[in-house]
Amino acid sequence: MFEAFYSAHKDRLFGYLLRKSGNYHLAADIVQESFTRYLEQYAEREHNPALLFTIGRNLLLDHIRKHRSTTTYEDQEHGQTIDQEHVFQIREEARQVLTALEKMDEEERDILSLLASSGLSYREIAKITGNSEANIKVKIHRSRVKLKQILKGNRP
Amino acid sequence: MNDYFISMFIDNELDLDEKINFVEAVHKDKKFKEQNVELLEQEKQLQAHVGTYMDEMPIAAKKSSKRSTFKFWVPSFAGFATACVLLIGFFMLWSTPVKINEELHRFVIYQPNAGQAKIVGDFTGWSPVAMKQIGDSGYWSVSIGLPEGEHRYSYLLENGRQIADPTILAREQDDFGGENSIIKVSIAI
Repeated sequence: MFEAFYSAHKDRLFGYLLRKSGNYHLAADIVQESFTRYLEQYAEREHNPALLFTIGRNLLLDHIRKHRSTTTYEDQEHGQTIDQEHVFQIREEARQVLTALEKMDEEERDILSLLASSGLSYREIAKITGNSEANIKVKIHRSRVKLKQILKGNRP
Repeated sequence: MNDYFISMFIDNELDLDEKINFVEAVHKDKKFKEQNVELLEQEKQLQAHVGTYMDEMPIAAKKSSKRSTFKFWVPSFAGFATACVLLIGFFMLWSTPVKINEELHRFVIYQPNAGQAKIVGDFTGWSPVAMKQIGDSGYWSVSIGLPEGEHRYSYLLENGRQIADPTILAREQDDFGGENSIIKVSIAI
């Protein structure tokens, strides 16, 4: 039963963490850690994707926080860029989106990454990101429009 | 009509009344329609495949990288006699000697408070094999040669407490109320 949950959500969670972090290896590590934690703490419950995404999100935020406190500004800048090794493995259109997402605010990037990857409802996304349901509608749309502006600006 | 209805439409968040209003707005307002199409096109790009999660079997599977080879056949500088002694010692230490077509798999578990840790699995004939404590790190480990295929195992701690490998996601209930971890071993050619 857990295997089914795992196969159904591993790529989604990976997609979310990759869009949010722009870092292939970090995303892969956190997928692993997220499922392990989920299994340790919530194995007995009915499977809940929103909980899994919350765990993944928190692990990534923890990582970013720790990384920030121990590195210089320049390192952070470097950490923000999509790792080069991965760039060659993904298609052009996906690469454009990942680059555009990096130019957005953290919250906008978070919301759009959740939206594109998780299959979760507005209500669940609002809960995970700490927004009200009324507020999330507006924020989601605003983020989409902003992404459009950035992508248009990127075009040659 | 509020612009954010476009996003709600894309994300299947409109109720029936909102859908009616939405369709009418799209029909009436050309600019609104164009905005819709643009964002839908963008959505295809946003949802485009960014990568596949490659690790089917987490952590412990990655740790088993050593291919079974007869490295211990390399003659030692002290000569053939020493080599023989080493070889015998090696097989005594190794509860399951590594054969050709076996993968040397290292099992590791973190149990800082345990007084002992053992592993049981199909590859040990379900009899417990003691694990070795790694210094005072809290980790216990044992390396066992595994033939290709699927294997089930769990760890035994003091007082007969049985736990599955916390780093392996694939699990299965055994017939005695416990849980076994499942790993797949493939031998590289």
